[in-house]
This record gives sequence, structure tokens and C-alpha cells, in this order.
Amino acid sequence: MAAPEVHHLFHAPIADHSFSSDRSTLAVARDNNVELYKRSGNAFRLQDELRGHDKTITGVDIAPRSGRIVTSSQDRNAYVWEPSKNGEWKPTLVLLRINRAATCVRWCPSENKFAVGSGARIIAVCYFEEENDWWVSKHLKKPLRSTVTSVAWHPNSVLLAAGSTDGHARVFSSFIKGTDERPEPSAWGERLPFNTVCGEYLNPTAGWVHDVAFSPSGDALAFCAHDSSVTIVYPSAPEQPPQAVISVSTQLLPFTSLLWSSETELVCAGYDCGVYRFSGSSDGWQLTGTLEKDTSQSRPGMEQREESALNMFRSMDLKGRSGAGVDDTKLKTVHQNSINTLRAYDESGGQVAKISTGGVDGRVVVWNL
Amino acid sequence: MSQSLRPYLSCVRSTLTAALSLSNFASQAAERHNVPEIEAASSPELLLNPLTVSRNAEERVLVEPSVNSVRVSIRIKQADEIEHILVHKFTRFLTQRAEAFFILRRKAVPGYDISFLITNLHTEEMLKHKLVDFIIEFMEEVDKEISEMKLFLNARARFVAESFLTPFD
Amino acid sequence: MADFNWRTLNIDALDPESAYNFDLTTLTPEVQPVSSSDVQTLSGQVRQILRGGNAEAALRGALENAPYGADEQGKAMHLSVVTEVLGQIRQAEMTPLLQRMYKDDGGSELCDTLMKYLYKGMGQGHPSSASGSKNLTPQATGFSQVGGRNFGGGEGGGQAMSVFLSWHEKLVEMVGPGSIVRVMSDRRTV
Repeated sequence: MAAPEVHHLFHAPIADHSFSSDRSTLAVARDNNVELYKRSGNAFRLQDELRGHDKTITGVDIAPRSGRIVTSSQDRNAYVWEPSKNGEWKPTLVLLRINRAATCVRWCPSENKFAVGSGARIIAVCYFEEENDWWVSKHLKKPLRSTVTSVAWHPNSVLLAAGSTDGHARVFSSFIKGTDERPEPSAWGERLPFNTVCGEYLNPTAGWVHDVAFSPSGDALAFCAHDSSVTIVYPSAPEQPPQAVISVSTQLLPFTSLLWSSETELVCAGYDCGVYRFSGSSDGWQLTGTLEKDTSQSRPGMEQREESALNMFRSMDLKGRSGAGVDDTKLKTVHQNSINTLRAYDESGGQVAKISTGGVDGRVVVWNL
Repeated sequence: MSQSLRPYLSCVRSTLTAALSLSNFASQAAERHNVPEIEAASSPELLLNPLTVSRNAEERVLVEPSVNSVRVSIRIKQADEIEHILVHKFTRFLTQRAEAFFILRRKAVPGYDISFLITNLHTEEMLKHKLVDFIIEFMEEVDKEISEMKLFLNARARFVAESFLTPFD
Repeated sequence: MADFNWRTLNIDALDPESAYNFDLTTLTPEVQPVSSSDVQTLSGQVRQILRGGNAEAALRGALENAPYGADEQGKAMHLSVVTEVLGQIRQAEMTPLLQRMYKDDGGSELCDTLMKYLYKGMGQGHPSSASGSKNLTPQATGFSQVGGRNFGGGEGGGQAMSVFLSWHEKLVEMVGPGSIVRVMSDRRTV
């Protein structure tokens, strides 16, 4: 396993990050602005800054084919940034019509719509209206009862999964006449008018759902919740109870983000500051390991003995600490604070070979699976 | 160190590590606001079950978690009236300088001696395991300080009493 | 009309749609209501198994049938039974017992339930009579128990707490912080 590529961009939390389709541009949400980094050699250099929001930015997404960037923020707004010929980015305000913060945003796979989750217990599905030349939204309201924390699209661009702090993960249909084509019938349902709830799933320990994701084929849904568990749902048919609902409780701190790396493997990351893998199928899932390098065997004894006397006096002088304790300010994991988002970096035919993680410590790390 | 101090502190440490999983969460009740939900308590689903860790009836720690903030309240051992006064003065000294402290709450939760309010901003700026280390160290040091103060107080009182009464001998 | 200060009305509490009125019962899955007599019969059974000498089976029985649906008294009764069982198990046997329990099917749920009881037991120490009281007894109450070996039944006080604390330490070693997070987020309280 090659070493992960670490990019320590700054010392502020990264709420969300997104790569362009050729992976040469990285958009990172930093406080009220989005910073665009261009790859030069092995590192990323700051190229541009997208200013426009008044409050913390909660979501950034770059559409792979068209290159448009959509951003959502706690100031109840979302902007779509279009790249123009001379390299400037032109923002277009999206009429979300929500009266609370927007918490997450994602382009659908066909890139003609995007979904914005919000604290107003509404998901705004936005599409471009040609006559008026702006982005308008249609609201998914029932039966959401609390803030929507994450949204994820099904490959057919009509079904939308949403996780919320009311403990439920739901699958909605966001079919918009005129913008979408009628989707193929799937295990989730057939005729699907807007705002149909195709499924509503609750964990027995009912923690807030942090992230949801559809499997690459769209036939299974996984979500991670605050009770340190990952639940995978395999639906059987519309209006029928699902074929299997598997809930895996872990011994670790809760996960904030997850991603399907193939039909039978999941990658999750969270408050433990590390990336973990799960594998399984409709019969059962289990935690298979972590992507962190195991550094516990690398000469701890030798280093300690050599430097202990010097370190002891130095720490007494500098920090007032008389202990010869190991300096535990630095965590053993690559990320030094919780991880916020997981994105696929290198994907082909439903299999993900590389993933990127962005965390509260201001680092973006690219991992090899 | 007493026999039960070590498991008590390790219990507090693991409880705090679990509770400090905080994330930035905008208020659902007021637009464009971001408040510590444990203090605002505007939505019941955002608050988690409060946990108590106690060593005996006199020493306990209450941890109240929520989605973006945690309130940790400590009740310090006060065995007699003198310790009661000393603890009161000590905590007053700290709470009156709460701004410089960042994580200290100006008023303790009723029933406890001192309270900390840790929000997602603190966990973003500072390391979580060091915050937990700090609280554990605080709990250890406070007991030592109070006992030390009490000893000095008694010593001074004895000296004063002696020197006052010597002429009457 | 002039007497009532309408500015102090909590408008959010009156609005059925507001976030204040979130129905917490939607977060807990179905919980069967359990009557107090059921809890009593269960306690009796557990105590019998305990007297028979099989502390492990007694603990499993008590944890598997935790009365989530009982009322306050039922739950308090069950807590005292669990405390008794925990007190009877020796220090040396704690870790192997926990390991066996964890490896079984549904073992992690049992361990979560045990964690819930530990925290509930520790929370049980009387909510100390708040700010005004002065403790006039001169002896230091913090040092009255001698380590974790005095298992004279679990009636409140320092002894029970040290039992809970030592169990907690061993349990966290096995199940990690995930279990504590589950105790915090699970709305089905014991």
C-alpha cells in the first residue's frame, strides 16, 4: 500500500472539498469562502478564491463534466459558479426559498439538478429554468422532522437519499417533469412522482444520521449514524419490507462520512481521525481494517531512551512538565483532527481505487485502497 | 493516590472522549445563528442522554452532550465547612476570569461546583485529547490545592492563636 | 388581562410544527410496556440464579430482559438487582466473563445494556442537596472504602460506586468508546 499523499493546506477546518474531473483543481471550503487550488507537481497551490457567502460554507461540489461549482452555506443561500473564458468565476444565486441554514449540496450524476439539504427540514432540489435563466427549487418536505445532514444521489439521478438528525435515512423521488426522463423501475419503486418516499429506515439505537450513500449499482443504501454504527439496507421491492437491513455497531467513535468503494466494500471515516474499511454482502458486514499505517512497531524504545534526559529537562523548562512522558500532542493517525468528508478520487467501472479525505485539521489526504 | 481515583479518572476520560464528537451545527430555531445546543436546548432531538460518573456521593462529574457542545460539571469533594469555603473561593477566582479560560462556564450548573462548556469551535482549534487531559489534570490538581490551602490555613491559625495567647501564660 | 405578561409566552412550545416540539417517541423503536409485577418476577428469578452460584447466567438474564418499558419503580428495582449481581462477581473473573459475553451473538448489545446500567447506577447517588447545604461531618467520606474488594451487597454509597467504576474500566477496555456513544444516543433508557 503506497503512502497516502498529505496536503496540509491551512490551519482551519475544511467543511467540504471536491476535485474537478481531471483532479487538477481542488475546491476547498474555508470558513466563508471557497479556495481553489491548482496542482503543481506534488503539491497544490492557491489559485483563486470564491467570495460571496456571508456565513460558513457547508457544502462544495464540482460537477465532473461541466465544471460548474455549487456551494451552500449557513446563510441560507447557495450559489452556482460558472467558469468563464478569462478564468473568472461568475456566481449565480440559487432561489432556495429556505429560512434556515443549508447543510449540504450535491450535483446529480446527470448534472442538470442538484439537491441542497437544510436546517429548515426541507430538501431543495434545484434545476435550471431556461425561460428565466436562473436556478429554481422544488421542495421535499414530508416527512422530514429535523435538520437534513447529508444527501446522496442514485445513479439514475431521480432517487435521492437523505440522512437527518431525526435518526432516519430516507429515499425520496425527486423526479421533475421536463428535466428528468422517466427512470427504469428498480427495487426502490416504479412510477415515482415528486416527493414519494421510497423507503424510511431507522436504526434501533437511533443516532443522528451523518452520511448516506447508494452503492455503485444503486441497489443498496448505507448510512452511518452517531451511535457508532453503519447500517446497510437492501430493498426487495417497492412497498415491501427490505430484503435485509444489516446494522454493524463498532467499537470506535462515530463515523461522519462513508463511501462505497465497490458493491461489497465500504470505506468510512469519522471522529477517530482514521479511515476504516467494511466488507460484506446482504448476508452480513464486518469491519475489516484501517487504512492507517501501523506505526507502533517503529523503534519506540530506542528513541525514548536516547532523548529522555534531554527531553525531560527541555519539557520542564518549556512546558512546566516534569514528566518524562512521551510527547502525545501529535496523534498517531495521519489526520490530526476528525475527518469531515470522504470523496472518490480514482474511480472506474464501479470500483474505487483512491479516495480523498478532508478534515477539521485543514488537511486533504489522498489514500490508495 | 487512593485506590478508586484511577478508575474514576479513566472513566471520566473515556466518557469525555466519547462525548467530544462535536460538529458544526447551525441553529434550527433561529436563522443564521450558530448556538451551543446544550445551552439553548431548543430542540430535544439534538440533546443526548446526560451521563454521570461518580466516585462516591461527594465527588461526581456530569457530562451533558449535544450535537455541537458538551457541558462538563464537576462536584469537588468538600468534607467540612472549611473546605466548602475554600472551594467556593477557588471556583469564584476561576469563574470570574472565565473569558481568558475559553472553555469555562461562568456559572456552575446547580448542584455542582464548576462547569465547563466545550463547543465545536474549541475542538476545531484545540486537540480533543489534550482538552480531555486538561480536565483530568484539573480534577486531580483541585483536590491537591484545596488540601494544601487547608493545611496552610490551619498552620497559620495555630501560629496566630499561639502568639496571641502567649502573653497570657 | 393586564396581569398576564404575554411577553413571556414561549411561542415555540405552542406551535406544533416547531423544532421545540419534536416528538422524541419517533426516535425510539417499539418498546413493550412492562408492568412492575413482571419486573419483580424477573428480579426474583435473577436473584435465585445468583444464589445458586451462577453469577454469569444471572447477569446475562438480567441484561437480556432489561425492562425498557417499565415505569420508574420497575426500572429502579431492576437496577438494584443488577447492582447486586455485579457486586457478587470477583475482580479476577470480570474480564473473562466480559470476553465470553462479548463474543456471543448479540453480545455487543448486552455489553451496551451493561454500560447503561453502570452509568445509571453511578447517577443514582442522591442528587446532592444543592448549593445551600454544608456538610458538617468532619470525616472524609472519600476514603472510607478499601479498594474494590468489599462486596457487601449493593446498597448505595462509596462501595457500589467503586464496583461500578472497576466494571466500567474493564468494559471500556473491551468494547471501546463506541459503547459509551451508544449509551448517550440511545433513547431507550434503562
